[in-house]
Amino acid sequence: MSSKIGEIIEASTSGFVAQCYELHQPPPLGSLVKTREGEREIYGVVSDAATRSIEPGRRPIARGGEEAEEEDVYRAHPQLAKLLRTEFSALVVGHREGERLHQYLPPRPAKVHSFVHLCDGEEVARFSQALDFLSILVAQGDELIAACLRHLAQAHEDRHRFLVKAGKELALLLGGETSRLNTILRRIRG
Amino acid sequence: MPLDLAQLLSQIKGLVADLRVGQRERERRLALAQKVLRSHEIEPLKRKIAASNTTWLVAGIVEGLSQHYEAPPCPEEFTVIASDGSHIDVDRHSSVPCYLINIGTALLQYGESPDALLASEPALFFGQDLVIADASGNREEFIEGALLGVKRSVEECGAVARLAQELPPERPALALLDGSLILWGLAGRDFEEAKSYVREELLERSYLGALDSMKRLSQGGELALASYISFPRSTDVVNALRVALCPHDPADCDLYCSTRRDRDCDGVGGIQDGELFGTLLGDGERSPVFVSGSRFMRKHYGEHQIHFFYLKVDEEVARVEIPAWVVERGLVGLVHALTLDQCKRGHGYPVALMEAHEKAVVTNADRERFWELIETSLWEERLPLRSSGKRKSKRTRWV
Repeated sequence: MSSKIGEIIEASTSGFVAQCYELHQPPPLGSLVKTREGEREIYGVVSDAATRSIEPGRRPIARGGEEAEEEDVYRAHPQLAKLLRTEFSALVVGHREGERLHQYLPPRPAKVHSFVHLCDGEEVARFSQALDFLSILVAQGDELIAACLRHLAQAHEDRHRFLVKAGKELALLLGGETSRLNTILRRIRG
Repeated sequence: MPLDLAQLLSQIKGLVADLRVGQRERERRLALAQKVLRSHEIEPLKRKIAASNTTWLVAGIVEGLSQHYEAPPCPEEFTVIASDGSHIDVDRHSSVPCYLINIGTALLQYGESPDALLASEPALFFGQDLVIADASGNREEFIEGALLGVKRSVEECGAVARLAQELPPERPALALLDGSLILWGLAGRDFEEAKSYVREELLERSYLGALDSMKRLSQGGELALASYISFPRSTDVVNALRVALCPHDPADCDLYCSTRRDRDCDGVGGIQDGELFGTLLGDGERSPVFVSGSRFMRKHYGEHQIHFFYLKVDEEVARVEIPAWVVERGLVGLVHALTLDQCKRGHGYPVALMEAHEKAVVTNADRERFWELIETSLWEERLPLRSSGKRKSKRTRWV
């Protein structure tokens, strides 16, 4: 059962930004999330997350000089939880129509205010049977590819086999960029 | 560049030079004020103030003159509520008669289960709400300009009173408003006579009605109401010292000093209460409680007679106003402790008021969007919209 973690506040065909319902609780970098657009489910890989003031003109200031624990700052200033928000960005990596899973961009973006769910292990394993979506991530940073593969591997019984398969796919996609490939491989070992 | 700063610079230098010259005289007057404050006997001065007829506002002595009190500890569990407002005035360059009041509220709960509730509620006033009419309907007063400021204060007080109704009665709570609890905008002679119906509507029926409601709620528990005035310019207590310095007993400004220039009481003239208590109070301490000497307040505020004390927060001295029932019910200590605690949490200004203000504020961009929305809505209904050439010229600037 996947859990509802946030709501889309900005959307395009290739990605979306969602606000988390819980402050400081974004999904992990590289994790698989999904949202719904009509009958279609859209999958995204979490590419960034940030917590900041809800108003651009009001920056948070340090408040904990007198407090023993970090939690005490929030206890002493209960309004903070209402003045900060956590957002995360996701890159769209595929979509599902009925039983058919496509690892390419959907025809339309998700709607603003659509709910975003974190995919459970079973769904992550099913989605990562194919690795065509890696071509979308290759255009992004190496950190994101490595984080995503580490996350997906946890859903597979044979993690090593999955990572070897992903490594081969990356080798094809990156062609002669061996130093990039090595950087990613170093980050997914262990 | 509309403001020529280069031209202004020499004038600013003149201002600074003027302040420097006055500084020594000011220090001398402040020293005299401190001496009178510390040395004068309370009971004779109380009697003299009561018998005197002065041209300035004189504080009534309640607890004494020069005592200073440390704040008692805060209760473990407490709530602070606050409201603040902003408005968009009637635009006389537009054919759409309306005004807007946006009220921001904050409810901050401290203790075992800390929580916060921040909200704002805009209200658009039009039609019958644009005026206050007397009972016969023959006379009416437009709510705009200064009167809209009064109306806004009334709405702020009503909002905090409604919020207070939701509080659990057993929990100590402080309701905070920004500015004075005395609606000075209604204090003129006009509102005593020809426009008394305006005062009756805004003050007696609405504002004091909200104070009544909070007084009733405070009977069941520990609810106090206070308003916070940052950097006050009031001189009520210094004026009491003027009475002390007056050689006549009772003092009567019109009788003895209507033409005199070198009055004895001018020895403390120009000093503000904030400066005086700034030298007397330690950090976090409050002054004694005084009662406002405003004739307008004494006449109309009934059981809510406005008292006040000064509170030193860091380098600033703030004025905290409270109605009589807060004093009578022994809640001054709670107001002192919670206001000081709010200022510490808010780095020098009560955090609940700051958050209420943030929710209430209407920016210039909001104003523009508000009028655009009105214009679009009229256009959709094919209703005519007229606006002045002056307004158009301000919105479309050209060279």
